[in-house]
Amino acid sequence: MGASRKRITEQHRLEYKFLTLIEEWMYKVWTELCRFSGAKIYPGKGIRFVRSDSQVFLFSNSKCKRYFHNRLKPSKLTWTAMYRKQHKKDIAQEAVRKRRRTTKKPYSRSIVGATLEVIQKKRSEKPEVRDAAREAALREIKERIKKTKDEKKAKKAEVVAKQQKTQGKGNVPKGGAPKGPKLGGGGGKR
Amino acid sequence: MAASFASRCSRVGRSLMDGLRNNFPNLPSTSRETICGSFLYQQQRTFIQMRTVLKVVDNSGAKKVMCIQPLKGKKGARLGDTIIASVKEAMPNGKVKKGKVVYGVVVRAAMQRGRCDGSEVKFDDNAVVLVDKQGQPIGTRVFGPVPHELRQKKHVKILTLAEHIA
Repeated sequence: MGASRKRITEQHRLEYKFLTLIEEWMYKVWTELCRFSGAKIYPGKGIRFVRSDSQVFLFSNSKCKRYFHNRLKPSKLTWTAMYRKQHKKDIAQEAVRKRRRTTKKPYSRSIVGATLEVIQKKRSEKPEVRDAAREAALREIKERIKKTKDEKKAKKAEVVAKQQKTQGKGNVPKGGAPKGPKLGGGGGKR
Repeated sequence: MAASFASRCSRVGRSLMDGLRNNFPNLPSTSRETICGSFLYQQQRTFIQMRTVLKVVDNSGAKKVMCIQPLKGKKGARLGDTIIASVKEAMPNGKVKKGKVVYGVVVRAAMQRGRCDGSEVKFDDNAVVLVDKQGQPIGTRVFGPVPHELRQKKHVKILTLAEHIA
């Protein structure tokens, strides 16, 4: 065979896409299928034909190759695998595996944030209980909102009232402490 | 399909001529001995020798090239060998002009070449990539499939440019 095994140099390691070809250069240990007849091509046998459109054809012997080049159809030749498949030969012998539909059982497991017991408890709650809980929560939220609203209103009223008072005295900046100038004004008046 | 059939008929005629001209290549390889018997049914593929017209599959400007001399090989060049060729047909504005003498690397050969695992490869046509004396390709692209026999011949640059490695 005279195969000069190439040393896998650094260059080859860099050229990543050729790496698998190097392995192929070492002894081929798998059988391929003939494109024409469907026969197994053992290593060392067969002819590989590369067409101009980069399509690769593997032939197990020159018989298949010849028929291919003479443009005979494998599906019309009784001895090819393609013919046998088309005419459904030997299918009865093959074990027909029924595809069993896998039923998905609901499987419960604990997640981060809720242990198994918590999940089960939640699942087993009655709808009335859930409704009651929901309403209670809503009520709580509403109350909270109301409280904040009231607070805001009160604050606003306070501010407005103060503003009115300061405006009545004179143009005093609202930003500064209004109490200071008032007192001073009061002191000055006295 | 019709065109390919017609070309195949012409190829049969040419192969007959080739067969008559070179009787020596038939003897050494066993695979070709079996073909030798049925002349008309299988086409006799031989080496790339003087006067062989090859297709150029890079963008160097040349289209068709005629082999003048195969480097290394008494009978002729095979897949992966270098040849000296004369440009017969070229694109109007290209790096290479008609009538120029160039070196080329055979990237596709209709003659089968044994692989190191025992199988054989053959391509549909004879094609060449133009290179300079150092072996660097003149063009910047390579079209069509390319065998990985080139790696053994140290034509790594061509392999990197190729779009498909068979």
